[in-house]
Amino acid sequence: MARDCDVAVIGAGAAGVAASVVAARSGCRVTLIDVGDRPGGQYYRGADLSSLPSAGLDYAALASDLDRLVAANAVDYRPRTTAYALERAGQRLRVRTRGEARQGRLGRPAGPDRHRADVDVIDAGTVVLATGAFDRPLPFPGWTLPGVMTGGGAQSLVKGQHVLPGRRVVVAGTGPFLLAVAATLLEHGAEVAAVVEANDPVVGSVRQLRGLTSGLGKAGDLGRFIAALARHRVPYLRRHRVVEALGDDRVTGVRLARVDADWHPIPGTERVIECDAVSVGFGFVAQLDLAAQLGARTIRGADGGLAVEVDDDQATSVPGLLAAGETTGIGGVEAARVEGLVAGATAAVMSDRASALTPAALERVRREVARWRRFAAGLHATFPVRDGWVDSVREDTLVCRCEEVPVSRVRESVALGARDARTVKLLSRAGMGWCQGRMCAAAVDGICGFDDIASLRGASYRPVAVPVPLGALASEQVEG
Amino acid sequence: MSGEIGFSLDGARMTAIEGQSIAGALIAAGVISWRRTRFDDRPRGIFCGIGACFDCLITVNGEPNVRACLAQVRDGDRVERQEGTGYGA
Repeated sequence: MARDCDVAVIGAGAAGVAASVVAARSGCRVTLIDVGDRPGGQYYRGADLSSLPSAGLDYAALASDLDRLVAANAVDYRPRTTAYALERAGQRLRVRTRGEARQGRLGRPAGPDRHRADVDVIDAGTVVLATGAFDRPLPFPGWTLPGVMTGGGAQSLVKGQHVLPGRRVVVAGTGPFLLAVAATLLEHGAEVAAVVEANDPVVGSVRQLRGLTSGLGKAGDLGRFIAALARHRVPYLRRHRVVEALGDDRVTGVRLARVDADWHPIPGTERVIECDAVSVGFGFVAQLDLAAQLGARTIRGADGGLAVEVDDDQATSVPGLLAAGETTGIGGVEAARVEGLVAGATAAVMSDRASALTPAALERVRREVARWRRFAAGLHATFPVRDGWVDSVREDTLVCRCEEVPVSRVRESVALGARDARTVKLLSRAGMGWCQGRMCAAAVDGICGFDDIASLRGASYRPVAVPVPLGALASEQVEG
Repeated sequence: MSGEIGFSLDGARMTAIEGQSIAGALIAAGVISWRRTRFDDRPRGIFCGIGACFDCLITVNGEPNVRACLAQVRDGDRVERQEGTGYGA
């Protein structure tokens, strides 16, 4: 039997925590589903917030509120759980989940029933989608070597695991997140060989940059990052790109080149830097699988990537489905928090409860949403992805890491008539593996020259958001 | 994170800090790749680090394809490097 609640919140980052707290404070029965061990998402990672000043609706206050609400059983919090499907169930929405961390654990029933304990079904009148985003990687020769990882990967190792990805790290790609990753590495004792930024963000002034990037995190973060770089004399190489990662069974260095404004390498400017780890990232991709399953209308966000369309109440085009945070367009942690507050208030009203946010408070929060969204738009204008990255891939460079599909096979698909990423997938298998195109969809579009939103939409449709054993699906049919 | 726990990698004894992910524990021990790909037999380790890319798949207590970046290592876990699909040839 499906468990029932008023509001199911998917994702316990800043947006999901905010939405859960407001909905639960309004008297809604809330279920909060999250893949992590602790609330906080990719930005906070369950950090100890006790030293942060907290008042009102900032994240530290919301997080401690959530702890109290969970302890009081006002929020049914389910960590280490993935929502893999979202569907209609009469007038309600149905979330199908799997407890990931129980995979492969001792003491689970053997045989055909072994997946039964892992799956669950939750029905809700309102679902808040707060599933966040992951790094947007772009392929280059050597990017599959061990030691090359995304900025989020490096950040998760250092902040979440207290483990350094390497002793000497090159941080590359574009965006202020590179500075955040470099600062984290430095603070924990790694050497950062260089920060390699493909754009040229300092054409304006540092003050302008600071104004823009405060949208990404807490105000003052950027100043701290830049100071850390200066203190450790880390070169910030603007208009440079990593054009190749070097090594045989692990990365031992990178080849850099200066690039022009469109990211085309300038001949004769290549040089090699030795390192034992590389962190790469070119912005972020919103995690939209569950919204796509229900057919929620999507648009291009300010960064050109796909986003769920929402109105001022954070409502999507699907009745009962709200979205907040990166799913509505990459905007950073503060945009996520305030959108989550609005979504929680909307969920309360949809559940026939009086919202815990007063009309005046809600108005203030809405103004903050607009402000952070303006910051995000400015940020994306400063750190776009330019076409020249494609110059660096070779015919044998893998595009799809899962199915090991090289550039040549992707280009063959276009020669065969493919005009969107989904057709390329069917012809070449790029995007058909475990990650379901999360790591390669943007690259396929770039290599093939597709710029139609339909290609992005087709590539982001995943009927099952993460791989689920057939045994788990079968046991669910019996129970559901 | 607090106490130290024990697990094995391909039978070799390893230690980890309680609460660490399998990937975190392996990288701390200097192991940066633990899977070989199905077609080209190439080494892979962690890439996205947050459960999205599935590059860090590993076999835990006989179950293949566990995401090493998400799964916490537990005392007594038998962890094995994964070849190809993880289900044998």
